Amino acid sequence: MPTRIKRLLAPAVLVVAVLMLPRLVTSNYWKDLINLSISLAVACLGLNIVLGYAGQLSLAQAAFWGVGAYTSAILTTQFGLPVWAGMFAAFFVAAFFGILLGIPTLKLSGHYLAMATIGFGIILQLILVNAIWLTKGSDGITQIPSPWIGSFELKAPGDFYYVAALSLILFTWGAIHLKNSRVGRAFMAIRENEMAAGTAGVDTTYYKILAFALSAGYAGFGGWLFAHSCSHYISPDTFSFDQSVIMLVMAVLGGNGSAIGSIVGATLLTLLPEMLRFLKDSYMMFYAAGIVAIMIFMPSGIAGLVKSMPLSLRLRAWWNVDSTAARQVAAAAAAWENSGGKPNAFSIGDCPGSGETLLSVKGLAKHFGGLKAVDGVDMEVRRGEIQALIGPNGSGKTTILNMLSGLYVPTAGEILLEGRAISGQKSHYITSRGMARTFQNIRLFGELSVLENVLIGQHGHTRSGLLTSILQPPSQKAEEAGMRKKALEMLAFVGLKGKEFATANSLPYGQQRLLELARALASDPKLLLLDEPAAGLNAAETEALVELLFQICDRGITILLVEHDMSLVMNVSDHITVLNFGRKIAEGPAEVVEKNPEVIDAYLGREVSNA
Amino acid sequence: MLKLEGVETWYGAIQAIKGISLGVGQGEIVALLGANGAGKSTTIKTITGLLKATKGRIEFMGKDITGMEAEDIAEIGIACVPEGRRIFPGLTVTDNLLLGATSNKRASKEEIQRDLAHVFGIFPQLEQFKGRLGWQLSGGQLQMLAIGRGLMANSKILLLDEPSLGLAPVVVQEVFRVIKEINKAGTTILLVEQNARMALLIANRGFVLETGRMMLTDTAANLLANEEMKEHYLGAHAHIKEARQRRRDEKAGA
Amino acid sequence: MDWSTNLQMLAAGLAMGSIYALVALGFVLIFNAVNVVNFAQGEFAMVPAFVTVWLLSRLNIPFALACVITVIFMGVFGIVFERIAYYPLRHRSFLPVVISTIGVGIFLKNGVQIIFGAEPLSMPRPSPATALNTLGVFVDPQYVVIILCTLALLGFQYFFFEKTMLGKKMLATAQDKEMARLLGIRVAKMIAITFAYSSILGAAAGILVGPIFFVTKDMGAMIGLKAFCSAILGGFGSVPGAILGGIFLGVIEVFASYYISSAYRDAFAFIILILVLLLRPQGFFGEKIAEKA
Repeated sequence: MPTRIKRLLAPAVLVVAVLMLPRLVTSNYWKDLINLSISLAVACLGLNIVLGYAGQLSLAQAAFWGVGAYTSAILTTQFGLPVWAGMFAAFFVAAFFGILLGIPTLKLSGHYLAMATIGFGIILQLILVNAIWLTKGSDGITQIPSPWIGSFELKAPGDFYYVAALSLILFTWGAIHLKNSRVGRAFMAIRENEMAAGTAGVDTTYYKILAFALSAGYAGFGGWLFAHSCSHYISPDTFSFDQSVIMLVMAVLGGNGSAIGSIVGATLLTLLPEMLRFLKDSYMMFYAAGIVAIMIFMPSGIAGLVKSMPLSLRLRAWWNVDSTAARQVAAAAAAWENSGGKPNAFSIGDCPGSGETLLSVKGLAKHFGGLKAVDGVDMEVRRGEIQALIGPNGSGKTTILNMLSGLYVPTAGEILLEGRAISGQKSHYITSRGMARTFQNIRLFGELSVLENVLIGQHGHTRSGLLTSILQPPSQKAEEAGMRKKALEMLAFVGLKGKEFATANSLPYGQQRLLELARALASDPKLLLLDEPAAGLNAAETEALVELLFQICDRGITILLVEHDMSLVMNVSDHITVLNFGRKIAEGPAEVVEKNPEVIDAYLGREVSNA
Repeated sequence: MLKLEGVETWYGAIQAIKGISLGVGQGEIVALLGANGAGKSTTIKTITGLLKATKGRIEFMGKDITGMEAEDIAEIGIACVPEGRRIFPGLTVTDNLLLGATSNKRASKEEIQRDLAHVFGIFPQLEQFKGRLGWQLSGGQLQMLAIGRGLMANSKILLLDEPSLGLAPVVVQEVFRVIKEINKAGTTILLVEQNARMALLIANRGFVLETGRMMLTDTAANLLANEEMKEHYLGAHAHIKEARQRRRDEKAGA
Repeated sequence: MDWSTNLQMLAAGLAMGSIYALVALGFVLIFNAVNVVNFAQGEFAMVPAFVTVWLLSRLNIPFALACVITVIFMGVFGIVFERIAYYPLRHRSFLPVVISTIGVGIFLKNGVQIIFGAEPLSMPRPSPATALNTLGVFVDPQYVVIILCTLALLGFQYFFFEKTMLGKKMLATAQDKEMARLLGIRVAKMIAITFAYSSILGAAAGILVGPIFFVTKDMGAMIGLKAFCSAILGGFGSVPGAILGGIFLGVIEVFASYYISSAYRDAFAFIILILVLLLRPQGFFGEKIAEKA
């Protein structure tokens, strides 16, 4: 079937379904329920963005839903503004409150974050109850108007339904686009591994706040839908912590991270109680038991279940064959075959070994309370060389790498990259200045594909913001295509050609290391920091790594590596710095260092004589 | 007393040990050596049951203990002083020691008190600080306490994982003196160490591991004199040496 | 400055604070043992309240016996909870466990409603209903009962953890599970006992607070959330922190709702929580948790 027709198939089916629904459902009661599910679905889509994409557990979603509902209700009932103005206000006021929540909670995660969001939500609800002059308190706001299109009032549930359905489609389309864009990838990187996201170039502070704002905005819009439909009445009771919990369950039931899943979850959990009315009082107990059972047996929710069904796999294969990404990968593979299989040069700078100082470290120190992990170290890394930083366990090597890459703030000393001071700067800033790193315990974005991991490495050099990521104009598509092309080159260079769509976690250990390397290279670094790159590799893999390091160096990238594998270090490095107990005890080329008695003692152990 | 045959263990996604065989005889001190990442700690964790071997067999006093749970292995007479000491920070010195006797199921209260007095005899410093909490102790005191706790189990064999790690040289000296003393009093010892020289000075025999495989084994004296040892720790391997030579040639030619 | 009013409020604050402390302790013990935050901890106080009311009102069992039965019931309850809600998810990440405990909380709330009906129940008081008058200060005797019983319970707990081998084994398990196993301590048993004890703490809280408010299915929710705030305030993971945090929160809540605003009474706990999380996330006694690269 030609691609163009395939592309039109899904939207066509959707339009037909949307138009048909009011004909099939005749009772107003059920139409109201559908409008309610849509309003909740939009809120859950928002929750899916902050939790499913960005991994931040927010239990305040019902509060933002309420903020949106109340903003529009107040503006339309007390100030007589048109309902469409209320719509914009609902979205943006809720987004503003989302920012208010995002800023203080930046450093929090896990249950601390959950509690903070719960607290925020409860405080918001209390304000809704007590700011009677504004919100009419527990009485609630009645007679909320319906929207007008020209001279036609959308009062009947069946009429309002079209507004709701259209908004749902638009918001879902936006969420799906977001997932497959630069901003969406930044969110997911934060979810998978916040520390690695920072060193890959993602400004985690900005994106976390953005995620909160966006998800709150979605919830606010959902609140607008709720206020101007159904019973045209809102009261603070609805926007409680319990409701936030219900939204959480809807999102997780649908499948965390799946936009369609959120819609399914919301619809199911709104309509199901109606159909299970016969269970009466015990309905909630079944609901709760069901939640626990789902967590135990179906943790990826309905979306996960559907994804793994054979029918859906075949549908996806049929659908995917012509997707842009797949076609590009196939084209690149063909080009690869044609050019004889040699990796394309991606030159960073000119010939290596120009000898000037790239990185200069003076008096660097890091104290953890009384422990002096690094105690005054001076180092220089020259452009184009491969330098190794070695020393026994606890000598401070990884601490130094962490300070260089912005994960620790030095207690003392300065770090200059190309003459510019970078000590104490955030890791994404340092990456943008040209320093990338890999980690000792591999930090990949595990649930993302190999290709996506490398694309995130290019985050710092690309531009697409929120609006372009959602709308995806031709300029954004071009940027994405360019990123993919470069990513494919990186992957071919490290030897991972053909694995683009595999999940990072599914790769064997040695290939995971290569992927981390590809991600680091994707940010166009001048200096590459490698933390034990050979750890866990067998002899053949180590040999391949050595070859790769030489090729990287040939392309003008300077390498500083921390290693325990002495055979690797002695044979690969141009220059070696040896640490012990946080201090530098020797440096120089391999031949000099390996004969240094202090170095030998540090490793093999000093013979302490029994007096 | 303790025998490993062809043991393989995975640590996460990595195969940390790839077919190791070793044996410890009654009354011996055996040293398990190797560079960082060679698989020494993984071997200890496999013996004590915290990790399960995927292949091979572990035998203790003639009984097959492969795959047994850690709590059970502690009860049959294998005690461990783990890497990093792992003293319970919120409990006192005395409590840490008393907990060490948990696996000694058959001992009566009096016997445990006697063991406690015995341990205080070996480590008088500990008796001085017996009311101090774990987090208040220095590195050397922690090591003494960890060894004392291991002794309280009255086990047949004591496994020590990197006892010298992070300690000042003069404290290391004291630790190894104590280990020798304990062994003389009858405890068999399997010692994992990065400080190869110190370990070989007190050991009878040694095994050298490298990337999960047994590379060398000999009497301690022979190992100390062996030049090959240096290579396994600080060495240069042939194929990588060639790669470097090739690169040097290329650079010279260009 | 009306001193007698302030002293009355102080008594009320200490009493509520004791309740928060007991529930917060339950949180912290479970968290220390298995690294899980139990969002159903509030229900651990609500369920025993209902059980006690039922034993007292419907079966007319004497108060002391009813307490004993409730305590035993909650002990068993804790062990069952561990098997159903925690054990199957023990290797999973944070989110499934949180949702699962929330689910159990909802299940318990509605289960209680089905068994006992939706009407709020009133728990008969063990203490006299007339206020004690000391030095011109009128204090509800139940407050005194709460404070004394909490002190007794904490004293027993101190003795248990400091002086008995079983207590020390439990502490060891909480501080370093792997090391405990290496010593031969049966860690699975220790965890079960931890859950049982945590439930018993909930029983104490529920029985003590029951006579003051009506016993409803929702009483656990707010107590649970505020107890969680107390634990964070004291330093999540610290036992003395949980106790002090609870008392501190109870007292502040009472005074703030009198002097600042009674409408926002429930908000103060969360305002304090957010301030603590912003300024000093490790609370009074907690430790800074840094991630290793």
